[in-house]
Amino acid sequence: MARNTRRTKTLAALAALTATGLALAGCTPGGSDEGGDGQTLKLWHYESEDSAMGKAWTEAIKIFEEETGAKVEFEEKSFEQIQKTASQVLDTDAAPDLMEFNKGNATAGFLASTGLITDISDAVDEYGWADKLAPSLQTTAKYSDDGVMGGDAWYGIPNYGEFVGVYYNKDAFAAAGLEIPTSYDEFVDVLDAFVAKGITPLAEAGAEYPLGQLWYQLALMEGDRGFVDDYQLYKDPVDWQGPEITSATQTLKEYVDKGYIASDVSSIKAEDAGVSFINGTSPIFVSGSWWYGRFVNEATGFDWTMTAFPGADLSLGSSGNLWVVPENAANKELAYKFIDITMRPEIQAIIGNNGGLPVAADPADITDPKSSELIETFNGILDQDGLSFYPDWPAPGFYDVIVQELQGLITGSQDVETTDDNLGKAYDEGTADFR
Amino acid sequence: MSSATRSGRTALPPEEPLIPQRRGGTGAYWLYLLPGFALLLIVVIVPLLWNVYLTFTKWKGVRTPEFIGLENWQKLFTDEDFWTSFQNSVWMIIAMVVVPTIVGLIVAALLFDVIGRKFGGKVGSFLRATYYLPQILPIAVAGIVIGWIVRPGKDGALNQILSWFGMPAYDWLGQMPSALIVLMVVMVWVQLGYPVVVFMAALQRVDPELYEAAELDGANWFQRFSAITMSIIRPEIFVVTLTCTIAALKVFGPVYIITRGGPAGSTLVPAFYAYQEFFTKRNVGYGATIATVLTIVVVIVSIVFIRVQNSIERKERAGL
Repeated sequence: MARNTRRTKTLAALAALTATGLALAGCTPGGSDEGGDGQTLKLWHYESEDSAMGKAWTEAIKIFEEETGAKVEFEEKSFEQIQKTASQVLDTDAAPDLMEFNKGNATAGFLASTGLITDISDAVDEYGWADKLAPSLQTTAKYSDDGVMGGDAWYGIPNYGEFVGVYYNKDAFAAAGLEIPTSYDEFVDVLDAFVAKGITPLAEAGAEYPLGQLWYQLALMEGDRGFVDDYQLYKDPVDWQGPEITSATQTLKEYVDKGYIASDVSSIKAEDAGVSFINGTSPIFVSGSWWYGRFVNEATGFDWTMTAFPGADLSLGSSGNLWVVPENAANKELAYKFIDITMRPEIQAIIGNNGGLPVAADPADITDPKSSELIETFNGILDQDGLSFYPDWPAPGFYDVIVQELQGLITGSQDVETTDDNLGKAYDEGTADFR
Repeated sequence: MSSATRSGRTALPPEEPLIPQRRGGTGAYWLYLLPGFALLLIVVIVPLLWNVYLTFTKWKGVRTPEFIGLENWQKLFTDEDFWTSFQNSVWMIIAMVVVPTIVGLIVAALLFDVIGRKFGGKVGSFLRATYYLPQILPIAVAGIVIGWIVRPGKDGALNQILSWFGMPAYDWLGQMPSALIVLMVVMVWVQLGYPVVVFMAALQRVDPELYEAAELDGANWFQRFSAITMSIIRPEIFVVTLTCTIAALKVFGPVYIITRGGPAGSTLVPAFYAYQEFFTKRNVGYGATIATVLTIVVVIVSIVFIRVQNSIERKERAGL
């Protein structure tokens, strides 16, 4: 009897072990075009209700229902939920009509290459959305047959943009007798000056994206659009021991050695780094525009500002997430109507006045001065075609690789050359399918 | 092995009652087992076979898997991360099996034999519940608290305590080997309650007169513990060791919550590695290969444990 019980336990253990495989394997293609009544739009997105986009889309739903008479069946999802399970759901008749999805080769590009999302080029022409989007914003919305961004076919529409810049605590600068830097040399001088005063200037997080983004920004300082195209669009092979990458990794190591970054940041998460800027501990934070709204609300103890990375022609950034229409969507026409409403000036203005970066807003509609400042900086980057995307985009799972390798670098467990080698190996392996 | 022992193996153990056999065969009983078998087939066997099939494919989780033969298996042998993950499993076994079982044994014996006798059963039960608390606490919640404790810099509770003694702040989860040590300490804390509860339940079977007789014979606490306690609760020790070893090999949640395999992959474990390959890299075929190896290891460990236990039980019976 006891023996049988143990056998059952063993089998139960096997079941648990294979459950992950089941989750992926159990879903088989079974799409259907049936069920489209033309009266219900099944919509998924993962923006929180009080975010700029959340507020804008709540309003868009209201307008859509009034104008079309159709009903929006909204399902709130989490980013992780859509990211990890969407590809299985999209292959079934449970797919929504319209869905928010992350942009990039490993995400929207992957769905496009597998035929799970619709080529919406005809709708783009019909509604004229291309005219509203700057060229570098279009890159992430268009994909090739292999799922590489910058292709010819439209697979998504972004409503907003984002970029990585530098947040400065103006009060801390004033107290230290320093000016906000306008060039990279001045930026380094400022870092040295803070270190000399016993202050670790840069808020950083080695366990999540901020450190990897700083590393890529340092590579962009040495690189040009050709480097970005090679890295992101696979135009030519990337030299992982070349000047851009070597300089980035070496400089990042120096940032730690010189005390610009605390030596114990390898286990710090992005939230902690952001909070150390909010509470005034760190006077400088290199990170994305997605923090802006939060800093407006929470970093109220001091005056602050944000600029593009000083001296940089290229900045990390892209369009925001995309509206994509699943191939198995039952009501595609309704989906296009909804996208069109989100591109209207009144909806775009809601994004702009709530800390977001609208892509098609009328500047006169942006009444909030802090938001205007942010949008102005973003438009400056767009004007010089400066958006250069994110370092982890080229290969699925490359985010984890960057985090781990840079952890190895800053903890001193591996040198610059090994770090670059390891990154290059993972990059080449992960991008082999797209070349 | 003598023939007497061999025949002893096939004979019914004296303490197991005979189940009366109904005339006319057992065919009808199989009918009742069918739903169970059907479930077993659907929930366990088919996915297991599918998982094994996927190890020979390249698959991104959608559309049709592409057959690539033994490529995934060959990759395993040269994959440093894979070997690191299994090395870390050994540390997890120390933290989740070896230490909790030994400490749990001592704690259970002390609670039952010393605390229970001196302060009454209620105090013993209360203390048992406190040891069991980390088992009830969701690891996601515990992970946040642990994060506060081992935070780097002066904010972390542990670093603050160290500063009272003039010691410098340390990046506990950001450096090796401290990240692995922190994970191991957390796992000891989480696991300890399980053996304590199981062993204390087992100790209820011990006839108090045995202890009294041993005491009258002049046996001290350790002699009573080793001669009486250990021998009586041996079956429970086997169960705890087996289930905890399986749990240690499969550990995922704490790694996901506390270290995410970092820093620089140094706390990677097989289940988390398989998860990364499945869901972040979309190398479903390779993820399935890691999961299959893990399954094989778990099955082998289980068989070895069960055989050793049966062998010891047989020897004991033969001795009787």
